[in-house]
Amino acid sequence: MSQPPAWSWKEMMAVFFARQIRDGDTLCSGAHTEISFCAAMLAQKSHAPNLRLQLGGTGFLCNLAGRPVSGGVPKTSVDYRIAQWAEGYFDHPETFLFYGPPGGGRRYYTDRDAYADHNGYFFADHFFVGGLQVDYHGNVNLIGLGGDGTFTMRGPGSVGIGDVITVRNMFVFMTAHDRRRFVERVDYISTMGPSGWREKQFPGNGPQWIVSPLGVFDFTGEGMTARLRAVFPGHTEAEITEATGFPVHRSELFEQIPPPDAGELSLLRDEVDVTGVLR
Amino acid sequence: MTADAAPARKEVVATAAEAAARISDGMTIIIGGFVTANHPMPVVRELIKRGVGDLTVIGSATAGLEIDLLIGAGCVRKLIAPYVGAELYAPIGNCFRAAAERKQIEVWECSEYILYAGLQARAMGQEFMAWRGGVGTSIPELNKDLVVFESPLGDGKEYLAVPAIGADWGFFHVGWADVYGNAQHVGARFGDRVLARAADRVAVCAERLVPNSYIRRNPVMTSIPYADLVVEAPFGSHPYAAHGFYAEDAEHIQAYVAASAAYRKGDQGAFRGYLDEWVTGPADHDAYLEQVGIRRLLQLEREYSAVSLGRHAPEGWPDGQL
Repeated sequence: MSQPPAWSWKEMMAVFFARQIRDGDTLCSGAHTEISFCAAMLAQKSHAPNLRLQLGGTGFLCNLAGRPVSGGVPKTSVDYRIAQWAEGYFDHPETFLFYGPPGGGRRYYTDRDAYADHNGYFFADHFFVGGLQVDYHGNVNLIGLGGDGTFTMRGPGSVGIGDVITVRNMFVFMTAHDRRRFVERVDYISTMGPSGWREKQFPGNGPQWIVSPLGVFDFTGEGMTARLRAVFPGHTEAEITEATGFPVHRSELFEQIPPPDAGELSLLRDEVDVTGVLR
Repeated sequence: MTADAAPARKEVVATAAEAAARISDGMTIIIGGFVTANHPMPVVRELIKRGVGDLTVIGSATAGLEIDLLIGAGCVRKLIAPYVGAELYAPIGNCFRAAAERKQIEVWECSEYILYAGLQARAMGQEFMAWRGGVGTSIPELNKDLVVFESPLGDGKEYLAVPAIGADWGFFHVGWADVYGNAQHVGARFGDRVLARAADRVAVCAERLVPNSYIRRNPVMTSIPYADLVVEAPFGSHPYAAHGFYAEDAEHIQAYVAASAAYRKGDQGAFRGYLDEWVTGPADHDAYLEQVGIRRLLQLEREYSAVSLGRHAPEGWPDGQL
């Protein structure tokens, strides 16, 4: 009998996200989930002390490098605990005034390194969105299930995920992986997949990843469709194919993702997720 | 004209019941705050007590369960909000979900900045604001008030024309205010300043009523000047948090979520029970607080203070060395 892994799927997802965040990036964590909050905090405390981080929805700009996380990870996107790491603040509507990319055009998105010495906060290299459904094209649905204006299930609403038109990399993260959630075509679109962003000439790139407890998709397929990029340790490609309602083909960039290493896990558990909400 | 005939400044202090009495059936109201913080709950409860109906309710960019409560109590005909829920407490507001699925409310489908664009248009006296977010989504299909148009600059890009969104009254919860209606947030201001600009009249609930001289110590902090009404409401955001003062009451919110979950499944009993106990039962806000109990309220203050190193955050935000 195999031993259960020494980490949880939430910890694996948080570590995966943190690894994608580079020092000097900008990140808006958006609505609250413990996974995305922990990922941003972990990145800033480990390898990205220059991460310019809007943590939560109220517009606090936070830096946690060298600072303790007392009382645990914030419980909501407006948790007053967020302010203990803040060094800047803007009203929520003002967050939309941070949307114009340096240079004003598309270059930021095709040549990020050309802006490596910029120290401004601009929305955003990374943004997290959740969904009721995600599809083969990366469309995300928070509006509801049904169609043509009727609802068999009304969702919470699109929040701001269709508004982040300048985002360089959107992580679509799904906290469960099955055929009701991973569908050929979403019932309603709250924000488009990457091909839609190009077609509508948005400045940013839109969704670049779909991440679930089982593994990771990128959008390297024909017409920017989803391709299997990695399987998380402890899971199989067959398991993902079975749980996915669109065709599953390997990405040309398919890779092995190592589990959280001892250093990542101890930093995550001892200095970020001190109350163990990801365990 | 003699000196003693000189007109005095108008004082605008009122009770929550008096503020709610300004609202009649069919009006449009705005409720400020954000998810689980800074909602003007004494007014929300008084509106339900009065049985006001057919309201168009504009929630914040991430509206919380205060809106869900108004929907469950039957006050709402039309909802303008890009989200109703409480994140980890309740990913989707149960009453909102049930009412939308049963077509008991009309939902003006939008996203955060579509909402702000409409409010801004009203605040600026324009007919609409242009915004690209939402182009290519289902939002303009579900909301026929939003008009897709091609940029007049000739680059072929599509925009949404978001028509102006106004309201008869906006209700907010702030840290403190004076008798003349000068209100200051303590801590985050959320979207309240833009929401307030779009309302014809504004009422604020304030944790503290303070002298005008206290406001003048830092006029830059005055986030809502010249409110039409000021309601003194300590713990006025309960069961939600008030930045600068106290944490949200997780236990109470969980009890509300359980009652509203039963409502969604067709069992009205628990939700009616919640309304009886916490909304229509207590005679006024003081009686409500008495029912919550001093121990619980102090605990919520302590929970806040433990992280902020004391009340009134702007002067006491911690240095992180806890």
